[in-house]
Amino acid sequence: MTHSNSLPRGGVIPPDSSLISREAPIANAAVPSVAVIPMLQHAGRAAVCVVKPGDLVREGMLIGRADGAHSANVHSSIPGRVVEVRRLALQEGISSDAVVIELGGEFDRSGRPRTLKGWEKLSRIDLLGKIQSAGVVGLGGELVPTHLKLAVMPGKSASLLVANGIDCEPSLSADYALMREKPGEIVEALRICQVLVGAARVVLALGEDAEGLVPEFERALARTGLQCEIALMPSRYPQGNEQLVVSSLDGTRLSGPHAGSVVLNVATLFAVYEAVVMDAPLIERVLTVTGAPVAAPRNLKVRLGTPVRDLFDDCGGLSARPGKIVVGGPMRGVAIASLDIPVTKGTAGVTAFAGAEARTPKEWPCIHCGVCVEVCPWDLVPTRLHKLIQQGEIEQAMGEGLGRCTECGCCAFACPSHIPLVDILRTGKRSRGRTVDG
Amino acid sequence: MTPSDVLSRGIARDNPTAVLLVGLCPAAAVSVRVIDSLWMSAGIFAVMLLSSFCMTLLARGRTNGGEMTPRAAAGGWLAALVISSFLTASFELVLLRAAPEASAALGIYAPLIAVNCLVLTVIDETSRAPSPGRALLDAAGKGAVFAACLLLIGVLRETLGAGTMTLFPLPGFSGTIEIGSLSQDPARAISFAGGGLLCLGYLAALARMVKERRP
Amino acid sequence: MAETSVSPAPGGLTLSPAPHLGAPMSTARMTWLVSLSLVPAAVWGGVLFGLPAVRVIVTSICVAVAAELASSALFRRFTLADGSAFLTGLLVGLLMPAGVPLYVPAAAAAFGILVVKQSFGGLGRNWMNPALGGVVFALLSWSSAMTRWAAVGDASVSTAVVPPLEALRPALSAPGAVGRPLEILSTHGYFFSTMDGRIVSWLNSHILSLFHASLPGGSYDILVGYVPGRIGEVSAPLLLLGAAFLLSRRIVRWQVPVSYVATFALLAWVFGGFAGGQGWFSGGPLFHVLSGSLILGAFFMAGDPVTSPLASTGKWIYGIGLGLLTFLLRFYGSLGDGVAVSIVLGNCAVPLIDKLVQQHAPARAREGIG
Repeated sequence: MTHSNSLPRGGVIPPDSSLISREAPIANAAVPSVAVIPMLQHAGRAAVCVVKPGDLVREGMLIGRADGAHSANVHSSIPGRVVEVRRLALQEGISSDAVVIELGGEFDRSGRPRTLKGWEKLSRIDLLGKIQSAGVVGLGGELVPTHLKLAVMPGKSASLLVANGIDCEPSLSADYALMREKPGEIVEALRICQVLVGAARVVLALGEDAEGLVPEFERALARTGLQCEIALMPSRYPQGNEQLVVSSLDGTRLSGPHAGSVVLNVATLFAVYEAVVMDAPLIERVLTVTGAPVAAPRNLKVRLGTPVRDLFDDCGGLSARPGKIVVGGPMRGVAIASLDIPVTKGTAGVTAFAGAEARTPKEWPCIHCGVCVEVCPWDLVPTRLHKLIQQGEIEQAMGEGLGRCTECGCCAFACPSHIPLVDILRTGKRSRGRTVDG
Repeated sequence: MTPSDVLSRGIARDNPTAVLLVGLCPAAAVSVRVIDSLWMSAGIFAVMLLSSFCMTLLARGRTNGGEMTPRAAAGGWLAALVISSFLTASFELVLLRAAPEASAALGIYAPLIAVNCLVLTVIDETSRAPSPGRALLDAAGKGAVFAACLLLIGVLRETLGAGTMTLFPLPGFSGTIEIGSLSQDPARAISFAGGGLLCLGYLAALARMVKERRP
Repeated sequence: MAETSVSPAPGGLTLSPAPHLGAPMSTARMTWLVSLSLVPAAVWGGVLFGLPAVRVIVTSICVAVAAELASSALFRRFTLADGSAFLTGLLVGLLMPAGVPLYVPAAAAAFGILVVKQSFGGLGRNWMNPALGGVVFALLSWSSAMTRWAAVGDASVSTAVVPPLEALRPALSAPGAVGRPLEILSTHGYFFSTMDGRIVSWLNSHILSLFHASLPGGSYDILVGYVPGRIGEVSAPLLLLGAAFLLSRRIVRWQVPVSYVATFALLAWVFGGFAGGQGWFSGGPLFHVLSGSLILGAFFMAGDPVTSPLASTGKWIYGIGLGLLTFLLRFYGSLGDGVAVSIVLGNCAVPLIDKLVQQHAPARAREGIG
């Protein structure tokens, strides 16, 4: 077990409003009566819908076929009948087709005994095939189809394989809870990935506040014989960022492509385990429901396609009418316009805000205080960049490092004038035709 | 361009003091008193107009905007400087006779009218003007605008910075108007050079505002 | 599935960009807290110098607020809530001598707000501290009015009307002026209170004699702030109390004030002794730090975030530069305590410092996808 500092400079410690006992067991969310499953839940091309209204679907059945290699399969999370295929507006102006399924019929997988399949004898092609057909994508927010990440050129091998167990946002503890309940499965999945990429070094990265999980993981690693280091990293946001984690482990440059390193979130690893060992497609995930008005905030295992509205019922309802609902965490989450938005593969958490918390604070002019410079983990000068963008000098801003911005939100969080820096920087980057997940 | 166009350009777009920012040294230095501003403006106006007139006589026979050989250009400048020096010296003598106190106040800036940036700019443009009438109109316009700007700044600076207004002496009137309590303890910083630059700055800002309102 | 009772609040769901958490401290709150931290020093000045001091402070605050109200109304904005106009007025008042005619702080406050701040775009866009801009304007315009000090203690004693620093100059040129600044002042007949006499002699005889050291007469007065001077500058302990509060809440960053005062004190100690016939390393750093508006300027104006550099390195350069400038202006210039002018000059250099620091930022900051 080693201590690494993934965040030598900058970062913030937002108040942890999770209000959850992370040690509480993950509860199963109620099965939705209507599931809305979009064809685009990943980075890449949308899946092609293979069902039409009136079709009967089974639990785990393929309803969207991947469109090429840079795409992912989509499966139905509930048995039932397809009611319609409609256009759904997702976040940030993207929309895609979504299959609306009404619950009905028997469950093929849930509530039935599951058999473990041996995988050691499978070839790499077969392993990748299983992962791809299960529609596994990066569940830590990147949403990159996992079979692409694990497909290493024949003859080459990765230098570093990292299991990222650091929760990406404060007040989200889904990854922690998953690691607490399923350490063996995660380690097994890590073994599978190691077979695929053959990395010289395997690391499990945990936050320092997860130190209590280390003994269990050490036991699991000892059982499987996987050579894996455990690295603890300080609990400061955004230390879970992939680039920060890798650069602190291998001492390479901070930004830029990390050729030869593969980082997978623990939730993704669990999905890999399910895909390879259980032959189960990705139809559910663990997420955190939290927020001041939530009566009983907790970690839930939710079927994809469940409308956000239903999640609050699983948490004892809301004590006040929410003024803002955020999908994701407080630092990077996206506010949604309707409670009927469904849970997708990328939903790591849902946060409700009510009353004063939901209101946007008053914006003052920039007073040049320099706090944003202090907290930026990428050594940018956010206030200068935002002034350049407002003056239309995008090229100049790019020259001063705008491309390195990962929209972590530290600058806007710390700004005493409550300037929406992330929004402005993102607008600047977009106006040059670049996307966020660079 | 009609004559009124030329004049309006002189006020807004090509305002020498507030937009083109030429000839600022004397503008800031002598505008401490109203009377000095008036005499300075008169000097520049006269020298500029007459130099321009002389240059148009010399430049006759040359086509509009035609290329000059370096020799001809040098010769032209030499002529311009000689003419302008002659006119400046004449103005100085007149000033010495008519208002010796103002002459002392203007100090070195009176002889420097000969090579004042504004005067030289106008002479330069004269050689490129399409017609003598147009050149003279431009010179007159710029001179008038310069005078107006200088007068404005002079009034402001003398009123706030010294609490007085100094005009031409007349029989029974010493020429200096005192403005009540302000003259006892005025804001002297405005009559310093820094205050002069501040006034010029505001004038320039005002001109820019006007310029941006008219497309 | 049961009918769910979850519905959005009236007005629908707010759509605002991430992050959805914010720092509890807001800009307006910070500015009002700075004003609050100046209150102890202001009260001391009001009590020490009496009603004229109160009138000066009230006048400058009212004029500053009115000027901001009028100029913001031109742009259909109301900006008084951010507290900066009030703060400017308060600072201008505190930098005035108590006996000054009221049109001086009024003009200084108006100049500061209208010319230094509003003409450049209001809060955050000014490149010079508005209060100091106004004060320097007043210093240049009404230099004699800016020396109308109010008496402290016994008004019949003539030297009770001149601040220690201003009294030091003529005292230094008198024959036989040798020793530390306070000693020179006593020889010259400077007036110190009886309380000071008692405390200093007690300290000298009971404690410092053990170390073969002694405090000159007047140390207590100047430390506590029972001397003439500008309204807000005299009481170092109360100013430092307010400054400590601001530093603890990270409203003012410590790099600029500390580097400023330290550089100045060091230079005063090393070179300041020549004037008093003492040679190297024997200037009176404590006297010079406590006299004049150094503490007020260093903590409340040099530390003002709007007009100081962004990065930490820049703040150090700025602070050291200010210390050097103040030393030069005070010891070799004719402008009194030199603080206001040196901060104003420093403000002019800040964009350059920012640019230089950014260009020479560490390599890590310049690599990347870009």
